[in-house]
Amino acid sequence: MPYLPTSQAYLEQSAQLLQAYPDTTRIVTKYSFPTNRRGNIIRAQKSQARKDAKATATGGTTTTSAPPSTATATLTLKTFNPTTGICLHYRTNKLQEVGRLITTLGKLAAGADVAGLGLSTTVPAADVEMVDAPAEEVTPAAKTQGQGQGQSAKGKKKGGKGKR
Amino acid sequence: MAPHLGHDEFFKSLSELLSKTSQQVHGSVNLTQKALVNVPGATTTNSQPSILIRATDGNTNTPNLKNESKEAKIANNKSQKVKLSTIVSPDDIEAFYVRYAEVCKTGMSGLKKRDRRARKAKTKGGAAKVTKA
Repeated sequence: MPYLPTSQAYLEQSAQLLQAYPDTTRIVTKYSFPTNRRGNIIRAQKSQARKDAKATATGGTTTTSAPPSTATATLTLKTFNPTTGICLHYRTNKLQEVGRLITTLGKLAAGADVAGLGLSTTVPAADVEMVDAPAEEVTPAAKTQGQGQGQSAKGKKKGGKGKR
Repeated sequence: MAPHLGHDEFFKSLSELLSKTSQQVHGSVNLTQKALVNVPGATTTNSQPSILIRATDGNTNTPNLKNESKEAKIANNKSQKVKLSTIVSPDDIEAFYVRYAEVCKTGMSGLKKRDRRARKAKTKGGAAKVTKA
């Protein structure tokens, strides 16, 4: 199952899944740092190479992007129902979202429905903008934009933003 | 499976685990929540089941030494898997999650912090970012 673009979409669909299968559905929240496995490193290098090529092509000064020391962790939320095999994902790396996400998970645990989550309509607007913003900045990398990309690639994107 | 912890103990261990992971800038913490159905010892009020909360590090390829104490596990985490769990009864969910969110916010310091000033200075098109209050 794909990663959902906004936390609201994730939380709403999770609420529906939990309502449908309250007994078997579970929510996993994973807080993790990018690993140093070979595959990850290679992917990061490839994405970096692409970015560099693009930056030089557009005449941008390649003052290197995010230094490796600032490796950011990611928070991956997963709602999984084993009987139906439905799995909903959401991934973020913003600390500011943690509080809201966890509190909403609490509401989900308490059996709240979609309306009971209290997600206002202003929230998705803000989220959509935040998702869109990096996409505009890094149009060359639009292909790699899928949320399923490695975390390192994401970090690099952020770095790319900074240097403009 | 180790016995379930009380809430206080669970939060204490969890914040230790999170901050340790953040300091190492390596590894991961898995937090699971699921409804606890048909399990003795779990209180169920008006069809609302208790919630089981688990926290582990991703250290799966090492044996889980059950007979060692929690503190020892955390101390030499390198070789041992950390497993924490607690049960939240339906009445406590709200209070529990307030603390849970707090512990997570403090512990997950490896995530990107909101830094409005730096972003504004750096990014031209940073306006969209800041709209999220």
